[in-house]
Amino acid sequence: MAYHSGYGAHGSKHRARAAPDPPPLFDDTSGAYSSQPGGYPAPGADVAFSVNHLLGDPVANVAMAYGSSIASHGKDMVHKELRRFVSVNKLKYFFAVDTAYVAKKLGLLVFPYRHQNWEVQSSRDVPLPPRQDLNAPDLYIPTMAFITYVLLAGMALGIQKRFSPEVLGLCASTALAWVVMEVLALLLGVYLATVRSDLSTFHLLAYSGYKYVGMILSVLTGLLFGSDGYYVALAWTSSSLMYFIVRSLRTAALAPDNMGGPAPRQRLQLYLTLGAAAFQPLIIYWLTFHLVR
Amino acid sequence: MMQPQQPYTGQIFQPTQAYTPTTPQPFYGNSFEDEPPLLEELGINFDHIWQKTLTVLHPLKVADGSIMNETDLAGPMVFCLAFGATLLLAGKIQFGYVYGISAIGCLGMFCLLNLMSMTGVSFGCVASVLGYCLLPMILLSSFAVIFSLQGMVGIILTAGIIGWCSFSASKIFISALAMEGQQLLVAYPCALLYGVFALISVF
Repeated sequence: MAYHSGYGAHGSKHRARAAPDPPPLFDDTSGAYSSQPGGYPAPGADVAFSVNHLLGDPVANVAMAYGSSIASHGKDMVHKELRRFVSVNKLKYFFAVDTAYVAKKLGLLVFPYRHQNWEVQSSRDVPLPPRQDLNAPDLYIPTMAFITYVLLAGMALGIQKRFSPEVLGLCASTALAWVVMEVLALLLGVYLATVRSDLSTFHLLAYSGYKYVGMILSVLTGLLFGSDGYYVALAWTSSSLMYFIVRSLRTAALAPDNMGGPAPRQRLQLYLTLGAAAFQPLIIYWLTFHLVR
Repeated sequence: MMQPQQPYTGQIFQPTQAYTPTTPQPFYGNSFEDEPPLLEELGINFDHIWQKTLTVLHPLKVADGSIMNETDLAGPMVFCLAFGATLLLAGKIQFGYVYGISAIGCLGMFCLLNLMSMTGVSFGCVASVLGYCLLPMILLSSFAVIFSLQGMVGIILTAGIIGWCSFSASKIFISALAMEGQQLLVAYPCALLYGVFALISVF
């Protein structure tokens, strides 16, 4: 009974009573309180359906309110943890793209030989977002290319009558594992070889993700024109990707003061860039040749 | 009752900080006559559902930005069930795949749109839009019941319907989130998602 009246005292803060109770089963000495709430949307869920509480049971009300507070608390905790690992603002920089940028960048990935100026521009020491600077790396193209590659692999295996949903997951995991290993290797190389650079993890992720565009082109050509078409497309996309990587990473990996570092270190940077570039055709071949048999 | 006047000060009941209900509906009494109609209680508004469906079905009509202010999952649920039912008619019992792919696809679109737009979106809004734009896919799978889609006609039809779905979805997203110059960029992931659904219908 004390519990019930106490509940009423708390309940009076946020429940308005608008109708008299049915014949009370117990003495109610608290102030105005309602026996049943109106509809309220559950916090944390944006679904527009209202729960009209049919039980009139205060214990259930307490449980529901407690549960909703737990849910919002859990959501805040997830957001906090996520923010510790991934800085969403930095990630947003890589997705600030528009259609013109994506079209030009794709053209650049396939034919980079005519492009003159590879410097990443920045205004007041803040690098310009990809919308305004063609040379800035982005993560939209690598992400979309990765997903397209996985779906295309599924389709190619389906054409070869070797499809099953598990194979799709296997393809996706293999490609993801290779990306992770390559980014880690590049991070190690950048750490060993440079004094300071603007290459963050996301930059390296972007540059290593650009090879998926070449992979998609090779697989498509292989599906349309057979094995010869596949090898021709492989050779072309590998060479343009190598050129692209070398030109982009050379300007990005060197320290801004270009006196930068003793000669061995500069040579180390060059070797790193060349090594990263040479690795690309190997991985492209490794991840696509079984699709175009 | 032990202490009628003493307020309860236990530790366990502390909803007041995090719990701020809004009571949009008037308080309904306990009597049966005062109860609201069931559909109004559940928040299912057939007129709005019909309007949103018409917006999807006219891909060239400019969409109103405020159309997705109230997220409504009743319509999309019906469309998902209808899609599964038409697949069932073709002999493929794949409700699980439909739900799994829609869940993963909605999650992916939610992350992507939050990263690409200035204002964020809520997950319900993304799920609602993607669910409504599934409607042309139901047409495709009902065609698949009658004749096989694996010929040239089927491929062209599939491509057309995927384009229709993703164009409508991107149009609604663009107008609701005020993203300019990014319609094709939003349409491409939608096309990938609806392409997976088409893959289920065709093969």
